[in-house]
Amino acid sequence: MRKINNSTELEKLRKSILDKVDVNKPCVSICKSSGCGAFGADDIVERFRKELQKNKLDNKIDIKITGCHGFCERGPIIVIRPKGIFYQRCKPEHIPVIVSKTLINGELIDELLYADPNTGQKIPYEKDVPFYKKQTRLVLADCGKIDPTSIGDYIALGGYASLVKALFEMKEEKIINEVKQSGLRGRGGAGFPTGLKWEAARKQKSDIKYIICNADEGDPGAYMNRSVLESNPHSVIEGMIIGAYAIGSNEGWMYVRNEYPLAVENLNKAINDAREMGFLDENILGSKFNFDIKMAKGAGAFVCGEETALIASIEGKRGMPRQRPPFPAQHGLFGKPTNINNVETWANVPMIIAKGAGWFAKMGTQTSKGTKIFSLVGKVQNTGLVEVPMGTKLSEVVFDIGGGPPNNKKVKAVQTGGPSGGCIPKNMFHLPIDYESLKTAGAIMGSGGMIVMDESTCMVDIAKYFTNFLQEESCGKCVTCREGTQRMHEILTGITEGNGKESDLKLLEEMGRIIKDASMCGLGQTAPNPVLATMRYFRDEYAEHITKKRCKAVACKEIISSPCQHTCPIDTEAATYISLIAKGKYDQALHIIKKDNPLCSTLARVCNHPCESKCRAGDGGEPISIRGLKRFVTDYGLAKKQALKVKSAPKNGKGKVAVIGAGPAGLTCAFHLAQKGYETTVFEKLPVIGGMLAVAIPEYRLPRQVLNADLEYIKSAGINIRTNTALGKDITIDGLLKQGYKAIFIATGAHKSLKLGIPGEDAKGIYPSMELLREINLGNQVKIGRRVGVIGGGNSALDAARVALRSGKTESVTIFYRRTGAEMPAYKEEVEGAINEGIKIEFLTAPTKISAENGLLKKCHFVRMKLGDMDESGRRKPVPIQGSEFAVELDTLIVAISEQPEASYADKKTGLDIAKDGTITVNPETMATNAKGIFAGGDSVTGPNSVVEAVSAGKVAAASIEQFLNGQEVKRQYTLTRPSLYIEPVELSEKELAEAKRPVQAHLKPEQRNSNFKEVELGLTEAQAVNEAKRCLRCDLETKDGKKFIEEIKNKSKSKNNKEKAGVACLK
Amino acid sequence: MIELKEAEKMVDKLAAKNGKLLISLLEEVQAYYNYLPEEALRAVSKKSKIPLRDVYGVATFYNAFRMKPCGKHLVCVCLGTACHVRGSMRVLDKIENRLNVKAGGTTSDKKFTLETVNCLGACALGPVMVIDGKYHGNMTAAKVDNVLKDSESKKRNKK
Repeated sequence: MRKINNSTELEKLRKSILDKVDVNKPCVSICKSSGCGAFGADDIVERFRKELQKNKLDNKIDIKITGCHGFCERGPIIVIRPKGIFYQRCKPEHIPVIVSKTLINGELIDELLYADPNTGQKIPYEKDVPFYKKQTRLVLADCGKIDPTSIGDYIALGGYASLVKALFEMKEEKIINEVKQSGLRGRGGAGFPTGLKWEAARKQKSDIKYIICNADEGDPGAYMNRSVLESNPHSVIEGMIIGAYAIGSNEGWMYVRNEYPLAVENLNKAINDAREMGFLDENILGSKFNFDIKMAKGAGAFVCGEETALIASIEGKRGMPRQRPPFPAQHGLFGKPTNINNVETWANVPMIIAKGAGWFAKMGTQTSKGTKIFSLVGKVQNTGLVEVPMGTKLSEVVFDIGGGPPNNKKVKAVQTGGPSGGCIPKNMFHLPIDYESLKTAGAIMGSGGMIVMDESTCMVDIAKYFTNFLQEESCGKCVTCREGTQRMHEILTGITEGNGKESDLKLLEEMGRIIKDASMCGLGQTAPNPVLATMRYFRDEYAEHITKKRCKAVACKEIISSPCQHTCPIDTEAATYISLIAKGKYDQALHIIKKDNPLCSTLARVCNHPCESKCRAGDGGEPISIRGLKRFVTDYGLAKKQALKVKSAPKNGKGKVAVIGAGPAGLTCAFHLAQKGYETTVFEKLPVIGGMLAVAIPEYRLPRQVLNADLEYIKSAGINIRTNTALGKDITIDGLLKQGYKAIFIATGAHKSLKLGIPGEDAKGIYPSMELLREINLGNQVKIGRRVGVIGGGNSALDAARVALRSGKTESVTIFYRRTGAEMPAYKEEVEGAINEGIKIEFLTAPTKISAENGLLKKCHFVRMKLGDMDESGRRKPVPIQGSEFAVELDTLIVAISEQPEASYADKKTGLDIAKDGTITVNPETMATNAKGIFAGGDSVTGPNSVVEAVSAGKVAAASIEQFLNGQEVKRQYTLTRPSLYIEPVELSEKELAEAKRPVQAHLKPEQRNSNFKEVELGLTEAQAVNEAKRCLRCDLETKDGKKFIEEIKNKSKSKNNKEKAGVACLK
Repeated sequence: MIELKEAEKMVDKLAAKNGKLLISLLEEVQAYYNYLPEEALRAVSKKSKIPLRDVYGVATFYNAFRMKPCGKHLVCVCLGTACHVRGSMRVLDKIENRLNVKAGGTTSDKKFTLETVNCLGACALGPVMVIDGKYHGNMTAAKVDNVLKDSESKKRNKK
C-alpha cells in the first residue's frame, strides 16, 4: 500500500481504482456481518469460491465480501451487481444453482427472491424491495456495497475527499460552524448539539486534547453502531480525523465493546491501512496535521457507555461515573480536554463536510436534523437496520418498513431508548420521530434501538426486565441508583409473581421521582423511565396483575401457571386433564373437565378455544389440539355413560333465585346456584332450552344428543324450568321480585339480527340469520331458493350458509364479506368446512341495495372494497372502489352481520341501565347491574360472544348472587391460577419427538354432508389423543409449585433406588 | 495450582504485547488461563505497579472477567430486549434445568459454564445462544436438548 502524500495523489489513486473497475463485470456481494455470519455466511462464501473455480468463472465474476445489508431478517443476503438482483435466505446448497442459473444463464431463482407478503409478488431487485425503498440510507449507503477491509473500495466511492476539503479548504472554525449549522445532534442518545460540543473542546487551551469514539453500544437490542463499524469503518475514522483537526486534538481513542470481535477486527485493519496510506499518523496528506487512533476494549459494563465512566475505563479504572462539571471538554481523559461522540455521529461528519450543512439541515424536523439509524427488532416481521429522516412517523417505520408483527398478532407498543427509554403505545404511532416528541411521550430517542412489542408482551414483565438489567449494571456509587433499582426490581418481581399490593404503584412512582432526582449519572437518572413509561400507558396491566392476578399477555409464569388454564374464561385445567390422557387415565380426566364445566360435551364441539391461541406449543410450532382432546374425553364419558348426572344438593332455604334465559349463561348460573343449595327457577321464552346452542348452532356442528346430555346433566342439579315464558310479556322483573324471588339473573342473549340498512331490505326472500337458524333448528320449514347469498363474516354467517346448503335445494351459496379472509371473525374450522362443501366466499365486497320484483328479492347490488389507509390501531379500513358496482341475482339473501340483545322489556321501572345497542350495563367483575339484587350476563351484556364467555358469566354471577344472598359485599374473589393437582410428566421418546405433529381430526367427506345434518367433525382416535397429549409442554410444572412437585418425584425415586440397592445388598 | 513466578513470567510477556492498558492486559491473561487466577492478579499488580486492591476492583467490576475456571464448553444465552420479547427466558430456564446449573455457574462435572449476555447484536436471529463461539438462532426450549448434545461432542471452547 503506497503512502499518499497530498490531495492530488489521492485523486489520482481514486481515478486509477475507478478506471480499473468494469461496471459491467458481475459482482456477487455476500454479507458477512455478524448477523449473516451467524446464519452461516462463511460457508456460503467458501461454496461460492469453489463453484466459480469449478466453472472456470473466477476471473469473470468477482466475489465481494461486504458488511451488513440491513435486512437482517432475510439473511444470508446475496446481491448480484450490477443488476442488483436481491437473493435472500440463501443456503450453501443454493450456490451451485445461483451460479448455473443466474450467473451463467441470466435467469432468476424464484425461491430466493423476496415476495411481497400481501400480494405474493416477487421483487427481484434490491432497489424495489419495500424494506429499502422507504428508507433514506445515507450513513448506511455504502454498507453492503463495499468490502469493509478494503480501503480501496472506500476511496473509490469518494472516501477521504471530505478530509481533503476539511484540511485544505476549511479552517478549523469553519468546520465547527458547518457542523453547528447542520444541526447534527449526538446520536448516542442524549442528543446534545455536536457543533457546540466541538466548540467547547476547541476553546480549551491545552497542548494535549483527546477525541473519543464511543462504540460501547450497550442498549440491548441495538446494533446500529456494530453494523457501521463492521461494514464501513473508514466512514467513522474519516469523521474522527476531521473532528480532531477542528478541535485541535492529535490523539483519538476508539472504545469498542469486547462483545464485537468482528467490529474490532475490521476497525484494526482500517486503522492500520489508513495509517499506511497516510490518512493517520504524522503530516496527514501533507497538511502538517498529526493524528492517530488507539483502540481500547470494553469489558462488559453497560455503564461505560456514559462519558465519564468510559474515560475511567480507558484509564484502567472501574467504570464509575464522576460529577460534572467539570465536563470532559474541560477535564477528560487523563485530565485533558476530551470530546466524545457516538459512532453514528462521527459517521455523519464526512457527508456534512462534503454536501454542506444546508443539505443536512433540509432533512428532518425543526429541532432534529438529518437521518437516524434504528435497529428495528422484536415482534416485527422485517427485523433489521432502518435509516429514515427525522420526523418520519413511528407507524411508517413499524408497519410500512417493518411489516408489523408476525403471525397476525396485534402490535402493542415500541420501546425506544433501551433501558433509559420508555415505551410508546400503538395509539401514539402517529408521532414523528424526533428528540423532543419522543421525550414528551415519556421515552427518549436513545441510540436507536426500537423494540416492537405485541399482545404477547407483558409490560410489567418488561419493566421488571429493565430494572433487573439496570440493577446489575449500576456501578453502585449512588445509594438511590444502587438501592433504588434493586428495590424497584423486588417490587416488580412481587407484582409479576402475584404478590403485588395496590400501594406498590404509588411507591414505584415515588421511588422513580427520587431516583431520577438524586442519582449522579445518566444511568441512574433514567433508570426509572421504563417503569414510569409502562405505568403511564399500561397502568391497567399493573392493576390486573395486582388485583385480579391476571397476566393477559400470559408471560408471568407464577401468575399464569399454564397459559391454557389462565386464558380459559372458566379456568379449566387443560394441562391436568391432558396429562391424565397421556397416562391413559380417562375417568380422572373427565372428572377434571366436568368440575369446572357443566356444558363440557357441548363446548368440546363448539368452543372457540382461546386456550389454543395462547398454547406455548404454538410458538414456532402447532398448538396442542386442546378442544380435540377434551372431546375425546367427553365422548368417552358419553359412551361409557359416566358422570351423566350430579348429586343434587339439599336446599339451604336462603332464598329463591330467578334466572331469565335458558342459554349457556343462564343454565350455568342456575346449575351452580342449585349446587350451592339455592332454589332456582329458569324462565325461557322459547319452547326449548339451550339458547343459541339449541336454536342457532346447527346440528352438524353440535348433534342434538350431545347437547341433550349436557342439558340433562345440568337439570339433574335440581333446577325448575318454565319454557314458553317471555320476559316483558309473561313475567316482569317487578313481578318476580313481588313473587318473592330474592335475586334475578338476566341472561336473555342477543337474538335480534341487525339490519343492513340498505334500500330494498324489506323484500321477501331476505332472512335475518338468527330467524333462519332458529326455525330450522326447531324443525320448521323455511323456503330457501336456488341461489343463496349470505352477508357477513362471523359464525352466524357461516352457520347460515352451511345450513342453507343442506336444505338440498341450492345451486349456489355465496358468502359476501366486506373485509379480507385474514380478518374474518368466523372460526377457521367453519370457514374451511364451508369451502370444502363448495360454498364460495367473496371478500372485500359490501352490499349497497336490493332490487325487488313484485316485492320479491331479485338482485343484490354490491360494491368492491379495497383496504385503505392504516388507522391508528394498525388495521386498514375497507373503502369502496368507485365504479366497481355489480349485481348478483339471488333467490334468498341471509343477513348475518351481527346480533343485538332485545331489551324492550326493560322500562324505567326496572331501573336497569341499558345502552343504545340494547346491552345491559353491569359491573364486569361481579355481573351486578345497578339495580339491587339484579344481575346479568352473557350476550345480553356483551353482545354476540362465545359460549365459553357466557358459561363464565353464569359461574361468576352465581358466586356474586351467593354473596348477595348471604348479606356479604358482592366482590369478585381472585386467586392465582393453579391446577388442583400435578401429574407426573410423560416424556416423549426421541422417535416420538421427531414425529410429533398436531393431529388432524377425521371429517365427514363433503359429498357425504351436503344434504344432511350429520356431524362433520369425527373426533380424535385414542392413539391420536394419547400422542397429542404427550406433546403438551406441561407449562404447569414451570412454576415454583410445579418445580417442587418434580423435585419431590426425583427425591422419591432416588430414595426408592437407594432402598432397592440396600435391599439387594441385604440379599447379598 | 499456579506458581506465582510462572504467572509473573506470563504477565510480562502479555504486557509487552499490550502496553499500558490494564483492562486489555487482564483480557489477555484471562484468554490464556481461561479465568483470572489470584496469582495472575498479583503478577499484574506487580508488573503494572497498580495496587492489588485496584486490580481486584477492576477484575470484579467488569462482567467479562471470570474469577473461577470456565467449563469445557461455554454456553452464552442472549438476554437482550429483542431476544427477551421473543422468549429467551424460557430457553434459559430449559438450559438451567437440563444442566442443573444456574446462570453464572459451572456444572459440577466442569463440562459446561452457563453465562448470559445483554445483547449480541444478532437480533434477527433471536432468541440467540452461542456455544463455544458458534451461534444458534431462533432458539426455543424444544431445541435446547439437541443443541447441547451437539456441542458436547465438539472440542473445547474457543472464546
